[in-house]
Formats: sequence, structure tokens, C-alpha cells
Amino acid sequence: MKDLWEEMSKEIEKQKKITDSLIIKMIHRDYKNKIHKILIPEVVGTSVCFAAVLFIVVNFQKLNTWYLLACGIMSAFILIVLPMLSIRAIHSMRTVNISSNNYKQSLLEYSKGKMQLVFVQKLSFYLGAILIVVILPVMGQIIAGKNLFMTTSLWFLYVIAFPFFYAFAKWVFKSYRKSASEAEIVLKELDS
Amino acid sequence: MYNQEAFIEVIKENEGLIYKIARVYTSTKEDEQDLYQEIVYQLWKSFPSFRNEAKISTWMYRIALNTSIASLNKAKRRGSHLPIDEILFNKPDSEDTEKKERIEDLYTRIRKLNPAEKGIILLYLEGNNYDEIAAVTGFTSTNIGTRLGRIRQKLITQIKK
Repeated sequence: MKDLWEEMSKEIEKQKKITDSLIIKMIHRDYKNKIHKILIPEVVGTSVCFAAVLFIVVNFQKLNTWYLLACGIMSAFILIVLPMLSIRAIHSMRTVNISSNNYKQSLLEYSKGKMQLVFVQKLSFYLGAILIVVILPVMGQIIAGKNLFMTTSLWFLYVIAFPFFYAFAKWVFKSYRKSASEAEIVLKELDS
Repeated sequence: MYNQEAFIEVIKENEGLIYKIARVYTSTKEDEQDLYQEIVYQLWKSFPSFRNEAKISTWMYRIALNTSIASLNKAKRRGSHLPIDEILFNKPDSEDTEKKERIEDLYTRIRKLNPAEKGIILLYLEGNNYDEIAAVTGFTSTNIGTRLGRIRQKLITQIKK
């Protein structure tokens, strides 16, 4: 195995092809675009959530029953917590210190960050589901002046949506479980 | 602006090292190109911190392996990198088909290992001794020996399958 690797390495050495200009392009490429690409969804998502919170707060007096008030408070709370959770988790994944960490430290940080991200993704999924349930009557009351709890259509919608949500949740959690168990294996391996 | 000429020399002297790491940590040509460029960029960013206290290869392995881990979970960055001539990424250009297949098979088997094992076997195959591997990875030299024994066993089992 080692001999084969050495032979391959010798062949690679013989074929050096990278040029000065290519290296210069690689080190001076425009990273601003890349950073923007990553930040745009976060910024847009957070702005939408905060705009919705503002909308609910401004129209809070329209929520004239205790259960609509409760739904309004819960919606605002979830809309504030959701983007904060996801931004925090994404940033914790990016904290691997490339220049000073050793390989073991980087693997530890990466795996812990990944497990935290999976936890936050699961939590966000549940919070998102609750948000859909509580925000519908709030928006119905604020925008259309209708108390949807008094109409059968809202309950009908919940009953129809639940099996779809359940199937979707099962599918999503399967991939989350896979990611988490991979990270767990790496952490166990580092301890052994 | 730190010494660009010196950096270019370092990269040109060690381009094979970057190529092999990028190939072990990715499974498609596009991802390989992305990682190759990301490693060069991270090496450039860390270049001022290199003070000749360590061997240049030790420093390069450390940065390149850390970059590979940090890139494991990133969203596909396709489109944000330079399109590089395919020829550069078709190394080694061996005429020997059987050898080519054996090399590809070796890469496939290494890719199946977990990230900790991948890093260790790569450094071992690159001819580093236990102390040098320990310096890059942060494991003790004794631990490296134990782990290498397990990795060899795993790779042999893969061949038998």
C-alpha cells in the first residue's frame, strides 16, 4: 500500500502543472461574493421573521380574546427565537480555527458543532410546526378581522395537514439522525 | 502585503500534497477542485503565521487537513470557485491501467474510513513518522501506533470483502 502511494506520489511530482497566475487567482478571488451568498438567506429569513413580529405587535389590540392573545404572544416568541437559534448554530459550525488547531481539536469542534446543529434543526422543525398552528388564527384576525377558531375551516385545515406534517417530519428526522450518529461516531473514535 | 513570491514557491513545491489531500476528502472532481482552491486560500491566509519554527510540510498538513474538516459540512460552493483546467486534476497521468485502478481502489478504501483515520493514514502514507503525525494531529505517538494498527486491519478487511 505504501509502495503504491509512493509510486503515485512520484508520478504526481513529475507532472507539476500549477502556474503562478493560477495560484494568484486562487488567493485573490472575490470572497465577498461567497460571504454574501451565505449571509443573504440568513439576513432575509431574519428580516421576514422580525417584520412579522413587528406586524403582530403593532396590531396586538386586534387580538380580542385570551386564546388569540396567547397565539399572538407565542407566534412573536417563536419568530424571534427561530432565526436566533439558526444563526447561532451556523456560526458555531464555522468556528473551526484552521490556522492554530491541531487535527484532533478541529474534529472535536466540528463534530460537537454538527451535533448542536442537528439539535437546533430538530427544535426549529418543532417550533416551525407550532408556529404554523398559532400564526394562522392570529393573521386571520389581524388581516381579515375573522376569528378562525369560530369557523370549522381552521380545524379542517389542521386535520388535513397533520398526516402530511407527520410523514414529512419522519423523513426529515431520518436524515438528522444519520448526521448526528456520524458525528457521535467521530467523537467516540476520538475518545478511544 | 506579505511575500507572494515565496508563497507561490511553497505551493508549487508542494502541490502534490494539496492534490492528494483534496482527493482523499472528496468524491467528485468538482468538490475536489473546490477543496484544492480552498486549501490554497487558507494556506495564503495563514502564511504570515508560519515562522519557520516547524517544517513547512507539517504546517501545510495542519492547515490542509483542518480546511478539509471545515469544508465537510459546507453547502456546495460550486460556481464560486475558478474553473481549473481538467488536466490539472487528472493526476497521476499513468499509462498503466492496472496501476491506475489500484490507485483508485486505494483512494476509495481510504475515503471509507472515518475522518480521524483518514488523516492519520494519509500522513503515514506520506512518509511521516509517528512523532510527525502526532505533531499534526494532536494524538500521542503511542496512540498513533495503536490507531494505525486498527486502520491497517480495516483496510485489509475491505480488500477481502
